[in-house]
Amino acid sequence: MSTFLSYGVPGIPYGCDFALMAVGLVLTFRATGVFNLAFGAQAFAAAFIFDLLVRTNGLPVWLAFIISVLLISPLLGVALDRFLFRHIPSSSTTAKLVSSVGLLIAIPQSLPIFFGNTPRLNPPSVWLNPSIVYFHLFTTPINGGEISTTVVTVVVVAALVAMFRWTGIGLQMRAVVESRRMAQLEGINSPNVAAAAWALSSVLAGLAGVLMLPLTAELSSTVPLQFTSLLVAGITAAAVAGMRSIPIALVAAVGLGIVENLLKGYLPSGGALAQTFVPAFPFIVLVGTLLFNPALRGLDISADPLAACDPPPAPPAVSIRDRRLDKPTRVGFWILVIAFLVSSATWVPGLWVTSFAEGLTLSIVFLSITLITGMSGQLSLCQATFAGVGAFAAGQLGTHLGLPVLLGSVVGGLMAAATGAIVAVVAIRLSGLLLALVTLTFALLADQSLFLYSWSGGGLVGVTVPRPKIGTIDFGDDRSFVLLAFVALVLCIVLVMLVQRGTIGRYLAAMRGSPTAAASLGISLTSARLTVFAMSAGIAGFGGALYGSVLQSVSASTFVYEISLAFVVVVITTGSQSVEGAVQAGMAYSVFALILTYFPERFAGIEPILFAFGAMTYAAHPEGIVEYQKSRWMARVARLLRAYDERRAGASGTPGAAVGGEAPAMGAPPREVRPAVSLPSGDGVGA
Amino acid sequence: MPEAAAGSGTAPSGGPGGPWLLEARSISIQFGGVKALDDVSLSVAPGEAVGLVGPNGAGKTTLFNCMCGQLRPSAGSVYFGGEPIHELPAHLRARLGIRRTFQRVEVFPHLTVRDHMIVAERARRGDGALWKDLLNKGRVKPDEMQAVDAVLELVGLQDLAEVPVAALSLGHCRLVELGRALAGQPRLLLADEPSSGLDVHETSSLAEVLRSVQRERDMAVLLVEHDMEMVAKAVDRVVVLDVGEIIAEGTFAEVVANPEVRRAYLGRTA
Repeated sequence: MSTFLSYGVPGIPYGCDFALMAVGLVLTFRATGVFNLAFGAQAFAAAFIFDLLVRTNGLPVWLAFIISVLLISPLLGVALDRFLFRHIPSSSTTAKLVSSVGLLIAIPQSLPIFFGNTPRLNPPSVWLNPSIVYFHLFTTPINGGEISTTVVTVVVVAALVAMFRWTGIGLQMRAVVESRRMAQLEGINSPNVAAAAWALSSVLAGLAGVLMLPLTAELSSTVPLQFTSLLVAGITAAAVAGMRSIPIALVAAVGLGIVENLLKGYLPSGGALAQTFVPAFPFIVLVGTLLFNPALRGLDISADPLAACDPPPAPPAVSIRDRRLDKPTRVGFWILVIAFLVSSATWVPGLWVTSFAEGLTLSIVFLSITLITGMSGQLSLCQATFAGVGAFAAGQLGTHLGLPVLLGSVVGGLMAAATGAIVAVVAIRLSGLLLALVTLTFALLADQSLFLYSWSGGGLVGVTVPRPKIGTIDFGDDRSFVLLAFVALVLCIVLVMLVQRGTIGRYLAAMRGSPTAAASLGISLTSARLTVFAMSAGIAGFGGALYGSVLQSVSASTFVYEISLAFVVVVITTGSQSVEGAVQAGMAYSVFALILTYFPERFAGIEPILFAFGAMTYAAHPEGIVEYQKSRWMARVARLLRAYDERRAGASGTPGAAVGGEAPAMGAPPREVRPAVSLPSGDGVGA
Repeated sequence: MPEAAAGSGTAPSGGPGGPWLLEARSISIQFGGVKALDDVSLSVAPGEAVGLVGPNGAGKTTLFNCMCGQLRPSAGSVYFGGEPIHELPAHLRARLGIRRTFQRVEVFPHLTVRDHMIVAERARRGDGALWKDLLNKGRVKPDEMQAVDAVLELVGLQDLAEVPVAALSLGHCRLVELGRALAGQPRLLLADEPSSGLDVHETSSLAEVLRSVQRERDMAVLLVEHDMEMVAKAVDRVVVLDVGEIIAEGTFAEVVANPEVRRAYLGRTA
């Protein structure tokens, strides 16, 4: 018994760390309707500022705590509401998740621009000193950090439960989450209530960040969520609680902490089970919870009864374009392509050519996001992991079996497709938010375990992926590789467009709109989802292998889960619904990175910030902010052309000529303009 | 066609393997503590049009959902063409020839009206293999276009064929749903309040369309509707559901005269 207690008891404060994260996720979800992956980033911001105030500015700990947690954190929360979430009231939970992914990337990257990016080592503690043991519980030493976390967690949970159960503001928050606009019609000041909810949630994030500060050996914007286990355990406990019950989240988190400690204690260290099962345990629990907890069903459905008041989705820019611009656009496009290829092959500096090669191969990876997110409306947060599978397979097959890289890339793509199919089979009943979380779990599992073996990701050394050769043609030179990558990209674009315009593309669009209605027509959601997931993973794997060939050496760190998140935000910014968006994303991603190397190092985070801001607008502009701006420009040009026609017709006195020639009706539907369909919000992501 | 389908009001007899096209037997389902359906049995013969009416909350849509596979009843079974289908998922039931429309309109907002019909047509044909798309066999073929145009004309949406459905009014969306269901050439159509959102004239012409399609194609129809004029025009037999139980069955005139039915609708014996 004493052994059991000595293993189990330390799990309690450990679990309380998880609980702060879990309670934060549940609170934010209940009070704002957002599954806030950026909770960790908000925590990081508060911790960073707290550390800065104490150590750089020499402020006393209590004053730094007040400024960072009680002043700046709520202000950040209010700002998030005011500038972002207030404008996407009826979007789906998944669409809001994309916005929170954008924040997760943007917030930590913004801080070094103002405060420099020197890693800050051994941050201070806010309350009791974690290096002092205050007492022993069943022979287990309990230090100051553990006491602080446990006490604060219990107090916070009690206060939040009381607030939701017995106060008017708690009830108002629940009503506002259901429908801001409906609550407003009932006399509730929805904007203020939502702002208060965000402020409260942000304070909790700040509190978590400052309390957990001593756990982090290094505070750096490049590793804002170095506590992956914290993130996984927090999501698991929140999922066990069905994203609803704060006390259950606490109990689940503490339970998870205890079980993890017991496993570590009882399984012989160094044994195969301890090395494989213990690291995978939280992921298994998380996936199991996401799959089998009935309380999570329907989490993604926007119940806003006023969603029908939203305008219909914007038509694509190409459909707004004045037909007279079609030919110049086509000609301009081909001139651009030829100029790009000729320039890459001749005069462009080598550094830029490498960047182009990266951009083209990444465009292939990004096409996989066009398939999964743009066409099926589902969000996958593990596309970089699939790219990794392809790259590692191509490298390993080349190294050990002597398989040519191009063939290895195709085989790598097939292996990634098989991996994608396995993930899809596991998550076959899930969609929307839950599917996104399963894919995130898979990405984290690959980071923590699957890619770390020598037979997969090559361990610490990584894997070499050489440049391809076809007969006597050697693509070792960047200039020739660009041509090869271009051909591969065109092939993949053709494949994706054939699917998009074919039966499966239509089925996917149907499923995105209404899975229930699609099934009622005889469409198998399972087979359509499996097909698109496998094909998307396959393309990501093939693109990843070619990307690996550009880099020539890849390791687990090349395809960490943050890269998957970055990929998603980049494609969503430029437009996930067209192949054009994927190519723009690939080229922009690599070329921006190159341009930023000419700036001081502290501005390195600007690229992810720019794309992250783009992703934040996803819920409001699911077609992509770049595509949205293009549509506006197309509309403007079409208006100018019409005005020109009218003036010309007026001058010549030709009646009836002033109708704008062949200009289409600016995207407006020809007859009915009243949207009466309750649109699946946020472009139907996860609908 | 069984006797009842001709409007005699006598419940037709039959069973699995018999004349019934659809037979729901002793369906019960509970939501929490609420019994939404309690031992409900209902049958539809081939080519028969049956009206399912009842006050709000009677369980009509729940019964539809149990028949189509959107809900699994806690007890009871469903037979289609004499075969048990209650274990089948929704899409496999649809492939047997059951199509439906929805009380709360369910369209695909990103598709045009024509695309809705193409999707339904392809689902009927069982298309959807990836290799076909990759070999560019996913293009719309002339015979498909012809079938789709015929349905569009039937429901009067030919002028709106290229409009994205997100921009249509509720009434038009109802017609899109109906057209989409008819494009699947069903043996049984379950229409859930198809007239809601339509004006008097549209409702009247909808009833005529439903009736003529039902007769021309020998298609069975199970119609949930609150508009009693439409029910009177479109069905042969009426079943009345109240608080999860069937309280009356017969011709339209018979159920309207039924005191139990009047009590259910008016809250007293009229």
